[in-house]
Amino acid sequence: MSESKIAKLHQGLADKEFSCKELTEKYIDAIEKDNEALNAYVTVTPETALVAAEKVDKKIAAGEKIGLLEGIPMTLKDNISTDGIRTTCCSKILEDYTPIYDATVWDILKKQNAVLLGKTNMDEFAMGSSCENSYFGGAKNPHNTGHVAGGSSGGVASAVGGNIAAYGLGSDTGGSIRQPASFCGIVGMKPTYGAVSRYGLIAYASSLDQIGPITTSVEDCAMVFDAIAQYDKMDSTSQGRKGAAACNTLKNDIKGMKIGIAKEYFEGIRDDVRKSVEQAIDVYRSLGAEIVEFDLPSLKYALPVYYIIACAEASSNLGRYDGIRYGYKAENYKDVNDMIKKTRSTGFGAEVKKRILLGTYVLSSGYYDAYYKKAQNLRGKIVQEFRNVFSGCDVVLAPTVPMTAFENGHAVSDPVETYQTDICTVPVNICGLPAVSVPCGFDDKGLPIGMQLIGNSFAEAKILNAAWQYENAANQFRAADFGVKL
Amino acid sequence: MVTKEEIMKIAILSKLSVGDDEIDQLTEDMSEIISFADTINNAADVESDFDNINNLSNVLRDDEVVPSLDREKILRNAKDSDEGCFMVKNIMK
Repeated sequence: MSESKIAKLHQGLADKEFSCKELTEKYIDAIEKDNEALNAYVTVTPETALVAAEKVDKKIAAGEKIGLLEGIPMTLKDNISTDGIRTTCCSKILEDYTPIYDATVWDILKKQNAVLLGKTNMDEFAMGSSCENSYFGGAKNPHNTGHVAGGSSGGVASAVGGNIAAYGLGSDTGGSIRQPASFCGIVGMKPTYGAVSRYGLIAYASSLDQIGPITTSVEDCAMVFDAIAQYDKMDSTSQGRKGAAACNTLKNDIKGMKIGIAKEYFEGIRDDVRKSVEQAIDVYRSLGAEIVEFDLPSLKYALPVYYIIACAEASSNLGRYDGIRYGYKAENYKDVNDMIKKTRSTGFGAEVKKRILLGTYVLSSGYYDAYYKKAQNLRGKIVQEFRNVFSGCDVVLAPTVPMTAFENGHAVSDPVETYQTDICTVPVNICGLPAVSVPCGFDDKGLPIGMQLIGNSFAEAKILNAAWQYENAANQFRAADFGVKL
Repeated sequence: MVTKEEIMKIAILSKLSVGDDEIDQLTEDMSEIISFADTINNAADVESDFDNINNLSNVLRDDEVVPSLDREKILRNAKDSDEGCFMVKNIMK
Protein backbone atom coordinates (compact mmCIF):
# COMPACT_ATOMS: atom_id res chain seq x y z
CA MET A 1 0.00 0.00 0.00
CA SER A 2 1.09 3.48 -0.81
CA GLU A 3 0.60 6.29 1.68
CA SER A 4 0.98 10.02 1.13
CA LYS A 5 2.60 11.83 4.03
CA ILE A 6 1.66 15.24 2.68
CA ALA A 7 -2.02 14.23 2.29
CA LYS A 8 -2.03 12.86 5.83
CA LEU A 9 -0.52 16.03 7.32
CA HIS A 10 -2.82 18.19 5.21
CA GLN A 11 -5.86 16.30 6.50
CA GLY A 12 -4.63 16.64 10.09
CA LEU A 13 -4.31 20.40 9.66
CA ALA A 14 -7.64 20.80 7.87
CA ASP A 15 -9.45 18.67 10.48
CA LYS A 16 -7.76 20.63 13.29
CA GLU A 17 -6.24 17.44 14.74
CA PHE A 18 -3.15 19.56 15.35
CA SER A 19 -2.26 23.16 14.59
CA CYS A 20 0.43 24.09 12.10
CA LYS A 21 2.41 25.59 14.98
CA GLU A 22 2.28 22.28 16.85
CA LEU A 23 3.32 20.37 13.75
CA THR A 24 6.16 22.78 13.01
CA GLU A 25 7.41 22.67 16.60
CA LYS A 26 7.40 18.90 16.45
CA TYR A 27 9.72 19.03 13.44
CA ILE A 28 11.92 21.74 14.99
CA ASP A 29 12.31 19.63 18.15
CA ALA A 30 13.11 16.57 16.06
CA ILE A 31 15.80 18.52 14.18
CA GLU A 32 17.29 19.62 17.46
CA LYS A 33 17.38 16.03 18.63
CA ASP A 34 18.46 14.20 15.49
CA ASN A 35 20.43 16.59 13.33
CA GLU A 36 23.62 15.94 15.23
CA ALA A 37 23.51 12.29 14.14
CA LEU A 38 22.28 12.94 10.59
CA ASN A 39 24.07 16.24 9.80
CA ALA A 40 21.28 16.89 7.32
CA TYR A 41 20.76 20.61 8.01
CA VAL A 42 23.48 23.21 7.65
CA THR A 43 21.15 26.10 8.52
CA VAL A 44 17.99 25.76 10.61
CA THR A 45 15.32 28.47 10.31
CA PRO A 46 12.80 27.99 13.16
CA GLU A 47 11.71 31.65 13.19
CA THR A 48 10.86 31.66 9.47
CA ALA A 49 9.07 28.34 9.90
CA LEU A 50 6.95 29.56 12.82
CA VAL A 51 5.97 32.79 11.06
CA ALA A 52 4.65 30.72 8.12
CA ALA A 53 2.93 28.32 10.52
CA GLU A 54 1.16 31.17 12.26
CA LYS A 55 -0.19 32.42 8.93
CA VAL A 56 -1.59 28.98 8.15
CA ASP A 57 -3.17 28.64 11.60
CA LYS A 58 -4.89 32.01 11.17
CA LYS A 59 -6.33 30.87 7.86
CA ILE A 60 -7.59 27.62 9.35
CA ALA A 61 -9.07 29.45 12.35
CA ALA A 62 -10.87 31.81 9.96
CA GLY A 63 -12.43 28.80 8.25
CA GLU A 64 -10.49 29.32 5.01
CA LYS A 65 -9.57 26.37 2.84
CA ILE A 66 -5.85 25.56 2.76
CA GLY A 67 -3.81 24.24 -0.15
CA LEU A 68 -2.20 20.80 -0.18
CA LEU A 69 1.32 22.05 0.51
CA GLU A 70 0.20 24.80 2.84
CA GLY A 71 1.68 24.46 6.31
CA ILE A 72 3.70 21.35 5.45
CA PRO A 73 7.23 21.51 7.00
CA MET A 74 9.88 21.08 4.33
CA THR A 75 13.48 21.81 3.38
CA LEU A 76 15.55 23.09 0.47
CA LYS A 77 18.98 22.01 -0.69
CA ASP A 78 21.50 24.70 0.12
CA ASN A 79 22.06 25.67 -3.51
CA ILE A 80 18.50 27.00 -3.88
CA SER A 81 18.51 30.75 -3.20
CA THR A 82 16.43 32.02 -0.29
CA ASP A 83 16.04 35.75 0.23
CA GLY A 84 17.52 36.69 3.60
CA ILE A 85 18.55 33.12 4.49
CA ARG A 86 22.17 32.19 3.90
CA THR A 87 22.78 29.89 0.95
CA THR A 88 26.24 28.34 1.01
CA CYS A 89 26.36 25.54 -1.60
CA CYS A 90 28.25 23.94 1.32
CA SER A 91 31.36 25.78 0.20
CA LYS A 92 33.75 27.97 2.16
CA ILE A 93 33.57 30.44 -0.73
CA LEU A 94 29.85 31.08 -0.02
CA GLU A 95 29.90 30.44 3.73
CA ASP A 96 28.48 33.85 4.59
CA TYR A 97 26.50 34.54 1.40
CA THR A 98 22.90 35.68 1.88
CA PRO A 99 20.86 35.93 -1.32
CA ILE A 100 18.75 39.03 -1.94
CA TYR A 101 16.14 37.20 -3.98
CA ASP A 102 14.25 33.92 -3.93
CA ALA A 103 14.68 31.08 -6.37
CA THR A 104 11.46 30.71 -8.36
CA VAL A 105 10.70 27.28 -6.85
CA TRP A 106 10.93 28.75 -3.35
CA ASP A 107 8.90 31.79 -4.41
CA ILE A 108 6.13 29.43 -5.59
CA LEU A 109 6.15 27.36 -2.39
CA LYS A 110 6.48 30.38 -0.11
CA LYS A 111 3.35 31.89 -1.67
CA GLN A 112 1.60 28.64 -0.77
CA ASN A 113 2.73 29.05 2.85
CA ALA A 114 5.19 26.16 2.82
CA VAL A 115 7.00 25.94 6.15
CA LEU A 116 10.76 26.12 5.54
CA LEU A 117 12.61 24.34 8.35
CA GLY A 118 16.08 25.09 7.01
CA LYS A 119 18.66 24.50 4.31
CA THR A 120 20.21 21.11 3.82
CA ASN A 121 23.65 19.67 3.29
CA MET A 122 25.18 18.78 -0.07
CA ASP A 123 28.46 18.06 -1.78
CA GLU A 124 30.20 21.38 -2.39
CA PHE A 125 28.61 22.96 -5.50
CA ALA A 126 26.70 19.67 -5.99
CA MET A 127 29.90 17.90 -7.04
CA GLY A 128 29.93 14.44 -5.55
CA SER A 129 28.05 11.25 -4.81
CA SER A 130 28.46 10.92 -1.06
CA CYS A 131 27.81 14.40 0.39
CA GLU A 132 31.28 14.09 1.90
CA ASN A 133 32.62 16.92 -0.26
CA SER A 134 30.56 19.31 1.90
CA TYR A 135 32.49 22.03 3.71
CA PHE A 136 30.31 21.14 6.73
CA GLY A 137 31.00 17.37 6.66
CA GLY A 138 28.69 14.80 5.04
CA ALA A 139 25.04 13.98 5.81
CA LYS A 140 24.45 10.52 7.22
CA ASN A 141 22.13 7.75 6.14
CA PRO A 142 19.04 7.52 8.38
CA HIS A 143 18.96 3.72 7.92
CA ASN A 144 22.53 3.41 9.25
CA THR A 145 24.54 6.46 10.23
CA GLY A 146 27.76 4.55 9.58
CA HIS A 147 26.91 5.00 5.92
CA VAL A 148 26.55 8.09 3.74
CA ALA A 149 23.23 9.62 2.69
CA GLY A 150 24.53 9.87 -0.88
CA GLY A 151 24.98 12.94 -2.99
CA SER A 152 24.94 15.49 -3.89
CA SER A 153 21.50 16.25 -2.33
CA GLY A 154 22.47 14.10 0.67
CA GLY A 155 21.07 16.53 3.24
CA VAL A 156 17.58 16.63 1.73
CA ALA A 157 17.49 12.83 1.46
CA SER A 158 18.78 12.39 5.00
CA ALA A 159 16.24 14.90 6.35
CA VAL A 160 13.28 13.43 4.46
CA GLY A 161 14.34 9.81 5.06
CA GLY A 162 15.07 10.68 8.70
CA ASN A 163 11.63 12.34 9.12
CA ILE A 164 13.01 15.74 10.05
CA ALA A 165 11.32 17.28 6.98
CA ALA A 166 8.12 16.09 5.31
CA TYR A 167 9.59 16.69 1.87
CA GLY A 168 12.34 18.66 0.19
CA LEU A 169 13.67 20.02 -3.06
CA GLY A 170 17.05 18.97 -4.41
CA SER A 171 18.88 19.44 -7.68
CA ASP A 172 20.04 16.74 -10.07
CA THR A 173 22.90 17.27 -12.52
CA GLY A 174 24.04 13.66 -12.88
CA GLY A 175 21.91 11.84 -10.31
CA SER A 176 22.08 14.15 -7.31
CA ILE A 177 18.38 13.72 -6.46
CA ARG A 178 17.88 10.08 -7.44
CA GLN A 179 21.07 8.60 -5.98
CA PRO A 180 20.62 9.92 -2.40
CA ALA A 181 16.89 9.11 -2.58
CA SER A 182 17.86 5.55 -3.51
CA PHE A 183 20.48 5.35 -0.72
CA CYS A 184 17.99 6.65 1.88
CA GLY A 185 15.07 4.48 0.74
CA ILE A 186 12.79 7.27 -0.46
CA VAL A 187 11.45 8.77 -3.70
CA GLY A 188 13.29 11.38 -5.77
CA MET A 189 12.53 12.73 -9.22
CA LYS A 190 14.62 14.61 -11.75
CA PRO A 191 12.08 16.31 -14.00
CA THR A 192 12.51 16.98 -17.74
CA TYR A 193 15.05 19.68 -18.55
CA GLY A 194 12.95 22.83 -18.67
CA ALA A 195 9.97 21.56 -16.64
CA VAL A 196 11.00 23.34 -13.44
CA SER A 197 12.52 26.82 -13.33
CA ARG A 198 16.14 27.01 -12.25
CA TYR A 199 16.13 30.74 -11.57
CA GLY A 200 17.98 31.09 -8.26
CA LEU A 201 19.55 27.64 -8.39
CA ILE A 202 23.30 28.16 -8.03
CA ALA A 203 24.66 26.76 -11.28
CA TYR A 204 26.90 23.72 -11.61
CA ALA A 205 26.40 22.51 -15.21
CA SER A 206 23.67 24.49 -16.90
CA SER A 207 22.75 22.09 -19.70
CA LEU A 208 22.20 19.31 -17.13
CA ASP A 209 20.97 20.91 -13.86
CA GLN A 210 17.34 20.44 -12.87
CA ILE A 211 15.43 20.97 -9.59
CA GLY A 212 13.07 18.24 -8.35
CA PRO A 213 11.24 16.79 -5.33
CA ILE A 214 12.51 14.32 -2.71
CA THR A 215 9.65 12.69 -0.80
CA THR A 216 8.66 9.55 1.11
CA SER A 217 5.99 8.48 -1.39
CA VAL A 218 5.27 8.68 -5.11
CA GLU A 219 2.04 10.60 -4.48
CA ASP A 220 3.94 13.27 -2.53
CA CYS A 221 6.42 13.48 -5.38
CA ALA A 222 3.60 14.07 -7.87
CA MET A 223 2.01 16.75 -5.65
CA VAL A 224 5.24 18.68 -5.25
CA PHE A 225 6.11 18.34 -8.94
CA ASP A 226 2.67 19.62 -9.97
CA ALA A 227 3.19 22.64 -7.74
CA ILE A 228 6.68 23.63 -8.91
CA ALA A 229 6.53 22.79 -12.63
CA GLN A 230 5.56 26.21 -13.97
CA TYR A 231 6.78 28.34 -16.82
CA ASP A 232 9.08 31.10 -15.59
CA LYS A 233 10.18 34.05 -17.68
CA MET A 234 13.28 34.38 -15.49
CA ASP A 235 14.71 31.08 -16.81
CA SER A 236 15.31 31.05 -20.57
CA THR A 237 15.18 27.22 -20.61
CA SER A 238 11.85 27.10 -18.78
CA GLN A 239 8.87 25.43 -20.44
CA GLY A 240 6.76 24.41 -17.45
CA ARG A 241 4.68 21.28 -17.24
CA LYS A 242 3.26 19.92 -20.48
CA GLY A 243 -0.13 18.27 -20.23
CA ALA A 244 -2.33 17.63 -17.23
CA ALA A 245 -1.21 17.46 -13.60
CA ALA A 246 0.66 14.26 -12.71
CA CYS A 247 -1.73 13.71 -9.78
CA ASN A 248 -4.68 13.32 -12.18
CA THR A 249 -3.39 10.10 -13.73
CA LEU A 250 -1.29 8.82 -10.83
CA LYS A 251 -3.49 5.84 -9.97
CA ASN A 252 -4.47 4.85 -13.51
CA ASP A 253 -4.33 1.21 -14.50
CA ILE A 254 -1.07 0.28 -16.25
CA LYS A 255 -2.33 -2.82 -18.08
CA GLY A 256 -0.62 -2.89 -21.46
CA MET A 257 1.93 -0.22 -20.52
CA LYS A 258 5.20 -1.02 -22.29
CA ILE A 259 8.15 -1.06 -19.91
CA GLY A 260 11.54 -1.12 -21.56
CA ILE A 261 14.60 -2.90 -20.19
CA ALA A 262 18.11 -2.34 -21.60
CA LYS A 263 20.77 -4.90 -20.72
CA GLU A 264 23.42 -2.16 -20.74
CA TYR A 265 21.90 -0.73 -17.56
CA PHE A 266 22.53 -4.02 -15.75
CA GLU A 267 26.23 -4.39 -16.55
CA GLY A 268 28.44 -4.13 -13.46
CA ILE A 269 25.45 -3.95 -11.13
CA ARG A 270 25.83 -5.66 -7.73
CA ASP A 271 23.89 -8.94 -7.56
CA ASP A 272 21.49 -7.98 -4.77
CA VAL A 273 20.62 -4.73 -6.55
CA ARG A 274 20.03 -6.59 -9.82
CA LYS A 275 17.83 -9.13 -8.03
CA SER A 276 15.67 -6.44 -6.41
CA VAL A 277 15.17 -4.67 -9.73
CA GLU A 278 14.31 -7.99 -11.42
CA GLN A 279 11.71 -8.65 -8.72
CA ALA A 280 10.23 -5.25 -9.49
CA ILE A 281 10.04 -6.24 -13.16
CA ASP A 282 8.00 -9.28 -12.05
CA VAL A 283 5.68 -7.00 -10.09
CA TYR A 284 5.11 -5.01 -13.28
CA ARG A 285 4.36 -8.20 -15.20
CA SER A 286 1.78 -9.13 -12.58
CA LEU A 287 0.22 -5.67 -12.98
CA GLY A 288 -0.30 -6.38 -16.67
CA ALA A 289 2.57 -4.32 -18.07
CA GLU A 290 4.38 -5.59 -21.12
CA ILE A 291 8.17 -5.91 -20.73
CA VAL A 292 10.11 -4.95 -23.86
CA GLU A 293 13.85 -5.51 -24.28
CA PHE A 294 16.04 -3.22 -26.35
CA ASP A 295 19.64 -2.06 -26.76
CA LEU A 296 21.30 1.23 -25.91
CA PRO A 297 24.72 0.63 -27.48
CA SER A 298 26.10 4.11 -26.74
CA LEU A 299 25.18 4.01 -23.07
CA LYS A 300 28.74 2.94 -22.27
CA TYR A 301 29.92 6.40 -23.31
CA ALA A 302 27.42 8.24 -21.14
CA LEU A 303 29.68 8.53 -18.11
CA PRO A 304 32.78 10.03 -19.77
CA VAL A 305 30.49 12.25 -21.88
CA TYR A 306 28.81 13.44 -18.70
CA TYR A 307 32.04 14.23 -16.86
CA ILE A 308 33.51 16.10 -19.82
CA ILE A 309 30.41 18.25 -20.34
CA ALA A 310 29.66 18.80 -16.65
CA CYS A 311 33.22 19.85 -15.83
CA ALA A 312 33.46 22.07 -18.90
CA GLU A 313 30.29 23.91 -17.91
CA ALA A 314 31.35 24.06 -14.26
CA SER A 315 34.70 25.63 -15.13
CA SER A 316 32.79 28.42 -16.84
CA ASN A 317 29.98 28.76 -14.28
CA LEU A 318 32.37 28.88 -11.33
CA GLY A 319 34.42 31.61 -12.95
CA ARG A 320 32.14 34.10 -11.19
CA TYR A 321 33.64 33.45 -7.75
CA ASP A 322 36.26 36.16 -7.56
CA GLY A 323 35.82 37.53 -4.02
CA ILE A 324 34.76 40.93 -5.35
CA ARG A 325 30.96 40.89 -5.38
CA TYR A 326 30.02 38.25 -2.78
CA GLY A 327 31.37 35.40 -0.75
CA TYR A 328 34.74 34.72 0.76
CA LYS A 329 37.62 37.08 -0.04
CA ALA A 330 41.26 36.26 0.64
CA GLU A 331 43.37 38.56 2.76
CA ASN A 332 47.00 39.59 2.17
CA TYR A 333 47.40 39.82 -1.57
CA LYS A 334 49.55 41.82 -3.97
CA ASP A 335 47.03 42.88 -6.60
CA VAL A 336 43.56 42.06 -7.97
CA ASN A 337 44.76 39.04 -9.89
CA ASP A 338 46.52 37.64 -6.83
CA MET A 339 43.40 38.31 -4.73
CA ILE A 340 41.16 36.37 -7.14
CA LYS A 341 43.61 33.48 -7.30
CA LYS A 342 44.03 33.29 -3.52
CA THR A 343 40.27 33.62 -2.96
CA ARG A 344 39.51 30.75 -5.34
CA SER A 345 42.36 28.54 -4.17
CA THR A 346 41.41 28.73 -0.50
CA GLY A 347 37.64 29.11 -1.03
CA PHE A 348 37.06 26.01 -3.17
CA GLY A 349 37.48 22.45 -1.90
CA ALA A 350 39.65 19.80 -3.59
CA GLU A 351 36.93 18.17 -5.73
CA VAL A 352 35.65 21.50 -7.02
CA LYS A 353 39.17 22.60 -7.97
CA LYS A 354 39.74 19.28 -9.71
CA ARG A 355 36.56 19.65 -11.77
CA ILE A 356 37.36 23.27 -12.70
CA LEU A 357 40.82 22.14 -13.87
CA LEU A 358 39.33 19.21 -15.79
CA GLY A 359 36.78 21.46 -17.43
CA THR A 360 39.41 24.01 -18.37
CA TYR A 361 41.57 21.19 -19.76
CA VAL A 362 38.88 19.74 -22.04
CA LEU A 363 38.01 23.21 -23.32
CA SER A 364 41.59 24.34 -23.87
CA SER A 365 43.00 24.68 -27.36
CA GLY A 366 44.43 21.42 -28.60
CA TYR A 367 42.02 19.32 -26.53
CA TYR A 368 38.66 20.90 -27.34
CA ASP A 369 37.99 18.72 -30.40
CA ALA A 370 39.10 15.47 -28.81
CA TYR A 371 37.07 15.92 -25.65
CA TYR A 372 34.41 18.60 -25.53
CA LYS A 373 33.36 18.52 -29.18
CA LYS A 374 33.47 14.74 -29.34
CA ALA A 375 31.44 14.49 -26.12
CA GLN A 376 28.74 16.81 -27.52
CA ASN A 377 28.70 14.75 -30.68
CA LEU A 378 28.17 11.54 -28.68
CA ARG A 379 25.57 13.29 -26.57
CA GLY A 380 23.54 13.73 -29.75
CA LYS A 381 23.91 10.03 -30.47
CA ILE A 382 22.72 9.00 -26.99
CA VAL A 383 19.73 11.38 -27.30
CA GLN A 384 18.88 9.71 -30.62
CA GLU A 385 19.09 6.21 -29.14
CA PHE A 386 16.69 7.15 -26.33
CA ARG A 387 14.30 8.69 -28.86
CA ASN A 388 14.24 5.40 -30.71
CA VAL A 389 13.61 3.52 -27.47
CA PHE A 390 10.60 5.68 -26.65
CA SER A 391 9.08 5.00 -30.03
CA GLY A 392 8.66 1.41 -28.81
CA CYS A 393 7.93 1.74 -25.08
CA ASP A 394 6.35 4.03 -22.49
CA VAL A 395 8.91 3.98 -19.71
CA VAL A 396 12.37 2.51 -19.16
CA LEU A 397 13.15 0.67 -15.94
CA ALA A 398 16.71 0.54 -14.58
CA PRO A 399 18.62 0.38 -11.31
CA THR A 400 19.27 3.83 -9.81
CA VAL A 401 22.72 3.05 -8.41
CA PRO A 402 24.84 -0.10 -8.95
CA MET A 403 25.21 -0.54 -5.16
CA THR A 404 23.82 0.58 -1.81
CA ALA A 405 25.10 3.45 0.39
CA PHE A 406 28.88 3.47 0.92
CA GLU A 407 30.40 3.40 4.36
CA ASN A 408 31.43 6.82 5.62
CA GLY A 409 34.80 7.81 4.27
CA HIS A 410 34.74 5.05 1.70
CA ALA A 411 33.63 6.91 -1.40
CA VAL A 412 36.59 9.13 -2.05
CA SER A 413 39.59 6.85 -2.67
CA ASP A 414 39.78 6.27 -6.42
CA PRO A 415 38.42 9.13 -8.57
CA VAL A 416 37.25 7.07 -11.55
CA GLU A 417 35.73 4.37 -9.35
CA THR A 418 33.82 7.05 -7.48
CA TYR A 419 32.55 8.59 -10.73
CA GLN A 420 31.40 5.14 -11.88
CA THR A 421 28.72 5.03 -9.18
CA ASP A 422 26.86 7.59 -11.36
CA ILE A 423 26.73 5.23 -14.34
CA CYS A 424 22.95 4.59 -14.20
CA THR A 425 21.89 8.13 -13.37
CA VAL A 426 23.82 10.36 -15.82
CA PRO A 427 22.17 9.24 -19.11
CA VAL A 428 18.88 11.05 -18.40
CA ASN A 429 20.69 14.29 -17.60
CA ILE A 430 22.59 14.05 -20.87
CA CYS A 431 19.27 13.59 -22.69
CA GLY A 432 17.19 16.00 -20.58
CA LEU A 433 14.71 13.22 -19.74
CA PRO A 434 12.68 12.79 -16.54
CA ALA A 435 13.34 9.90 -14.14
CA VAL A 436 12.02 8.96 -10.72
CA SER A 437 13.81 6.73 -8.22
CA VAL A 438 11.62 4.49 -6.06
CA PRO A 439 12.69 2.14 -3.24
CA CYS A 440 12.59 -1.50 -4.41
CA GLY A 441 14.28 -3.51 -1.64
CA PHE A 442 17.05 -3.76 0.94
CA ASP A 443 20.47 -5.36 1.05
CA ASP A 444 21.51 -7.81 3.79
CA LYS A 445 22.69 -4.92 5.97
CA GLY A 446 19.25 -3.30 5.79
CA LEU A 447 20.38 -0.55 3.41
CA PRO A 448 17.82 0.51 0.79
CA ILE A 449 17.98 -0.32 -2.91
CA GLY A 450 16.34 1.89 -5.53
CA MET A 451 15.19 1.59 -9.11
CA GLN A 452 14.38 4.35 -11.55
CA LEU A 453 11.62 4.79 -14.08
CA ILE A 454 12.72 6.92 -17.00
CA GLY A 455 10.30 8.66 -19.33
CA ASN A 456 10.31 10.56 -22.59
CA SER A 457 10.53 14.35 -22.38
CA PHE A 458 7.68 15.83 -20.31
CA ALA A 459 6.28 12.37 -19.53
CA GLU A 460 6.50 12.87 -15.75
CA ALA A 461 2.83 11.88 -15.35
CA LYS A 462 3.54 8.55 -17.00
CA ILE A 463 6.61 7.61 -14.93
CA LEU A 464 4.86 8.68 -11.73
CA ASN A 465 1.84 6.58 -12.69
CA ALA A 466 4.10 3.54 -13.21
CA ALA A 467 5.98 4.28 -9.98
CA TRP A 468 2.77 4.65 -7.97
CA GLN A 469 1.42 1.33 -9.25
CA TYR A 470 4.60 -0.46 -8.16
CA GLU A 471 4.60 1.26 -4.77
CA ASN A 472 0.95 0.39 -4.24
CA ALA A 473 1.52 -3.27 -5.13
CA ALA A 474 4.86 -3.84 -3.40
CA ASN A 475 5.74 -0.84 -1.23
CA GLN A 476 9.38 -1.06 -0.13
CA PHE A 477 9.40 2.09 1.98
CA ARG A 478 10.43 1.60 5.60
CA ALA A 479 10.43 4.52 8.01
CA ALA A 480 13.86 5.07 9.56
CA ASP A 481 14.14 5.30 13.31
CA PHE A 482 14.60 9.07 13.47
CA GLY A 483 12.55 12.22 13.60
CA VAL A 484 8.82 12.83 13.76
CA LYS A 485 6.68 9.70 14.14
CA LEU A 486 3.29 10.11 12.52
CA MET B 1 48.68 11.35 -19.85
CA VAL B 2 48.50 14.74 -18.22
CA THR B 3 51.76 16.37 -17.19
CA LYS B 4 52.51 18.60 -14.23
CA GLU B 5 53.37 21.39 -16.65
CA GLU B 6 49.95 21.12 -18.29
CA ILE B 7 48.25 21.30 -14.91
CA MET B 8 50.23 24.39 -13.97
CA LYS B 9 49.21 25.95 -17.29
CA ILE B 10 45.48 25.26 -16.89
CA ALA B 11 45.67 26.39 -13.25
CA ILE B 12 46.75 29.81 -14.52
CA LEU B 13 43.84 29.81 -17.00
CA SER B 14 41.46 28.83 -14.18
CA LYS B 15 42.83 31.43 -11.76
CA LEU B 16 43.73 28.73 -9.25
CA SER B 17 47.05 28.07 -7.59
CA VAL B 18 48.17 24.49 -7.14
CA GLY B 19 50.48 23.94 -4.19
CA ASP B 20 53.60 21.74 -4.17
CA ASP B 21 51.78 19.45 -1.75
CA GLU B 22 48.83 19.03 -4.16
CA ILE B 23 50.46 18.71 -7.57
CA ASP B 24 51.50 15.02 -7.48
CA GLN B 25 48.11 13.67 -6.37
CA LEU B 26 46.31 16.02 -8.73
CA THR B 27 48.44 14.94 -11.70
CA GLU B 28 47.75 11.30 -10.90
CA ASP B 29 43.97 11.84 -10.50
CA MET B 30 43.71 14.00 -13.61
CA SER B 31 45.66 11.49 -15.70
CA GLU B 32 43.37 8.71 -14.55
CA ILE B 33 40.22 10.71 -15.30
CA ILE B 34 41.51 11.91 -18.68
CA SER B 35 42.43 8.41 -19.77
CA PHE B 36 38.91 7.36 -18.76
CA ALA B 37 37.54 10.27 -20.81
CA ASP B 38 39.67 9.05 -23.73
CA THR B 39 37.36 6.04 -24.11
CA ILE B 40 34.93 8.27 -26.02
CA ASN B 41 37.41 8.38 -28.85
CA ASN B 42 36.65 4.68 -29.48
CA ALA B 43 33.20 5.72 -30.66
CA ALA B 44 32.63 6.46 -34.32
CA ASP B 45 31.71 10.06 -35.15
CA VAL B 46 28.06 10.58 -35.87
CA GLU B 47 26.75 13.01 -38.41
CA SER B 48 24.48 15.22 -36.38
CA ASP B 49 26.11 17.37 -33.74
CA PHE B 50 24.26 17.81 -30.51
CA ASP B 51 22.55 21.16 -30.59
CA ASN B 52 19.76 21.17 -28.06
CA ILE B 53 18.00 18.83 -25.69
CA ASN B 54 14.23 19.06 -25.95
CA ASN B 55 13.92 20.98 -29.20
CA LEU B 56 14.21 24.18 -27.23
CA SER B 57 14.16 27.40 -29.14
CA ASN B 58 15.05 30.91 -28.06
CA VAL B 59 12.22 32.78 -26.42
CA LEU B 60 12.51 36.44 -27.23
CA ARG B 61 10.76 39.26 -25.46
CA ASP B 62 10.40 42.98 -26.01
CA ASP B 63 13.31 44.99 -24.68
CA GLU B 64 11.47 46.90 -21.98
CA VAL B 65 12.96 48.72 -19.04
CA VAL B 66 11.91 46.99 -15.81
CA PRO B 67 13.12 47.43 -12.22
CA SER B 68 16.16 45.34 -11.35
CA LEU B 69 17.80 44.38 -8.07
CA ASP B 70 18.49 47.15 -5.60
CA ARG B 71 22.09 48.44 -5.72
CA GLU B 72 22.39 48.91 -1.99
CA LYS B 73 21.13 45.36 -1.35
CA ILE B 74 23.52 43.91 -3.91
CA LEU B 75 26.49 45.59 -2.27
CA ARG B 76 25.62 44.06 1.10
CA ASN B 77 27.30 40.82 0.05
CA ALA B 78 30.51 42.51 -1.07
CA LYS B 79 33.41 42.57 1.37
CA ASP B 80 34.50 46.01 0.17
CA SER B 81 32.34 48.66 -1.44
CA ASP B 82 32.26 52.43 -1.58
CA GLU B 83 29.85 54.98 -3.03
CA GLY B 84 27.70 52.36 -4.70
CA CYS B 85 30.66 50.52 -6.27
CA PHE B 86 32.57 47.33 -5.62
CA MET B 87 36.07 48.07 -4.37
CA VAL B 88 39.28 46.37 -5.51
CA LYS B 89 42.93 47.33 -5.25
CA ASN B 90 44.27 49.76 -7.85
CA ILE B 91 44.39 48.12 -11.26
CA MET B 92 46.25 50.93 -13.03
CA LYS B 93 49.29 52.59 -11.62
